[in-house]
Amino acid sequence: MDISPSEAEENLAAIQAVMQKTRHSIASSGTTVTLIVTGIVWLVGFVSTQFLPGEIIGYVWTGLSIFGTILGTIWGFRMGRRVRNPAVAATAKRAGLYWLFLVFFCTVTIAVAWPLDGKQVTVLIVLFAMIGHLAMGLLLSFAAVWWPLPITALVLISYFLLPDLFYLWMGILGGGGMIALGLYIRLRW
Amino acid sequence: MANLNETIHQPVRLRIMAALVALEAGNEVDFSYLRDLLEVTDGNLGAHLRKLEDAGYIAVNKTFVDRKPRTFVAATVAGRRVFQEHVAALKSILKGK
Repeated sequence: MDISPSEAEENLAAIQAVMQKTRHSIASSGTTVTLIVTGIVWLVGFVSTQFLPGEIIGYVWTGLSIFGTILGTIWGFRMGRRVRNPAVAATAKRAGLYWLFLVFFCTVTIAVAWPLDGKQVTVLIVLFAMIGHLAMGLLLSFAAVWWPLPITALVLISYFLLPDLFYLWMGILGGGGMIALGLYIRLRW
Repeated sequence: MANLNETIHQPVRLRIMAALVALEAGNEVDFSYLRDLLEVTDGNLGAHLRKLEDAGYIAVNKTFVDRKPRTFVAATVAGRRVFQEHVAALKSILKGK
């Protein structure tokens, strides 16, 4: 079977276009949604924590947690309807159980280490959450492995080097960074 | 001389394979998602999927989700391999320009 170089070039361009469209379509509802939703929650939550009085912050975080859970569930459901992995589906219950255990261990760690200030509690929760995301990435979708690492680095830098600006740093650089990264993957990848 | 795969070379089948190979190994896509992505009709997509399935390049998984019949499609290991070989053949033709 023989074809001309120009026909080969057209075929390669068509392949490239479809692969890019597929990746873009999947990325727009997978990792990017997690990044954008978590970024919004962090941005609003941590900036509020830096500037608002303590009694209001609890309500802000509660509202943000509900918002994040609902949005994440809706998008996760939409994503699951289009692309799925039978092996992942089979381990979904175990993954859910893993997250429950992680929450338990995080709570126990905080209880054992108590008394802690707000920043220490925040760092511990974020570190446990990043361990969870890292483990899920390694087990279920290797493409999602890398992003918890820079976020963890960002959290540790702000905790140790910029304690006075901790919440502001977490909100703007952590939350804003996740939103920017999510948008970049969605629009450019 | 490069060997092009005649089954994959057909334009719609080439695009189907490109979409499926772009997924992570082990992932499968919904039939309607693939139809919308490639902008083809149900009948056209179904016919080409059958040819690729007969060749062993894709796996078609018919199942029920929420009591509704759903069809999921994935590239097989052999399908991924022949697709990569086909792409390599296209590139070698281009280099010999």
